[in-house]
Amino acid sequence: CRISSDGKPAKFQPPPKPVIIDRQKQREERRFLSPEFIPPRGRTDPLKFYIERKDMIQRRKVFNIPEFYVGSVLAVTTADPYANEKANRFVGICIQRGGKGLGATFVLRNVIEGQGVEICYELYSPRVQAIEVLKLEKRLDDNLMYLRDALPEYSTFDVNMKPVSHLDHEEIPVNKLQVRMKPKPWSKRWERPKYNIKGIKFELPEKKMKEAQKWSQPWLEFDMLREYDTSKIEEKIWKEVNEELKK
Amino acid sequence: MMPIWTKSGKKHAVTLLKVQDCHVLRYISKEESGGKTSKLLVGGKNASPFFKSESAMKIFKEAGVPRKQKVATFNVTDDAIIKPGTPLYAAHFRPGQFVDVTAKTIGKGFQGVMKRWGFKGQPASHGQTKTHRRPGAISTNKAAKVYRGKKMPGKMGNIYRTSFGLKVWRINTKHDIIYVNGSVPGHTNCLVKVRDSKLPTYKDCNKNPPFPTFFADGDEKLPEDLYDKEIFQFTDPSVTYA
Repeated sequence: CRISSDGKPAKFQPPPKPVIIDRQKQREERRFLSPEFIPPRGRTDPLKFYIERKDMIQRRKVFNIPEFYVGSVLAVTTADPYANEKANRFVGICIQRGGKGLGATFVLRNVIEGQGVEICYELYSPRVQAIEVLKLEKRLDDNLMYLRDALPEYSTFDVNMKPVSHLDHEEIPVNKLQVRMKPKPWSKRWERPKYNIKGIKFELPEKKMKEAQKWSQPWLEFDMLREYDTSKIEEKIWKEVNEELKK
Repeated sequence: MMPIWTKSGKKHAVTLLKVQDCHVLRYISKEESGGKTSKLLVGGKNASPFFKSESAMKIFKEAGVPRKQKVATFNVTDDAIIKPGTPLYAAHFRPGQFVDVTAKTIGKGFQGVMKRWGFKGQPASHGQTKTHRRPGAISTNKAAKVYRGKKMPGKMGNIYRTSFGLKVWRINTKHDIIYVNGSVPGHTNCLVKVRDSKLPTYKDCNKNPPFPTFFADGDEKLPEDLYDKEIFQFTDPSVTYA
């Protein structure tokens, strides 16, 4: 029996309840469907997307395409007939993921010996030998093209960097980094609301920011013809893709 | 349109064409048609029988086939005649063959001379009065007339055009899809006529094609996908250069 500082016996404290973390449920809750599986809005026959998806799943069975987002650091090895070891390795941050279906691409950017280099790779090309995710994270924007006008330190990544481990059930970390830009002129007017960039620390005077808002189109978010609700399509495709990959 | 890769790692763009309920409708003999060879009428996609007159439906009734949306004529030699009513499948073509594709181009409506014929027009500034996209001179002084066929503004598109010598890369026998190299005239989901190429370079290209056509109820059992030997199939590992 414990004796408290008063000298009287202390009140019975029940042991703390065990916290049960259900790993299975947490793992199932996070579903990732690669954006190139979602068909674009148009008048094409859904049979074409079905056939293309079969080919994509077939390629994924043979070659592993990991989950990654815009803002993660990847290392890609491609077959090159003119390189020394016939293979070429490039490390960079993914700034854009474009294209749908088999022609899906992603652009990797890095600054090598002071020169900025961007390479656009095709996800399903047979020349890529391996894709490794060195750092899996998201950024505040879907498109990091503004890194071209940002200070080069934000685009430099060590070519021999070690992969940062990421557990399966954890949520993908969002890097809320605000990037500092080189002095104007930029390749595009990133302060304008059409680009909707949240990841830049604008050091422009208030007057310029207010003038940029003149080009805002506030009616766009209420335009019903531009809405494309992909939730149901995504669920169907996710189920289909998972079933095929398990076989 | 889809990308396709060869075993050497090169990418080619490919159009998918679906063979949807094709049947042979009628056989027209050489004397009847008055041409050099006999003809076969082939019908495409099924359509509703209620919006056509009885005389137009006669051909479909004789063949015993639902009404087709598009009817095309093919010049055939006498040993390649098929009985009317037989269905035609995508397996009629084989990978490695060369093919001509005919379709109606996308209609652009009434267009000016710069878009329709590619004229250069006039400069935007430096004194031009109301003349920036006009044809300019249409004939010479000595001719004293405008020649027939002079390129002028008018309705553009919505005419039949053919792309010649397109290679067939792959055939899907389950869904009847032909993968044809390059682009094809017409909008998405438009009706298209596919024919063996008549270019002299590809005259001897077809080695042992299914002759006169591929019969589904015959003895031949084809795999679901037929690939050309140059194509990279996704079941193989990634391409390496030795």
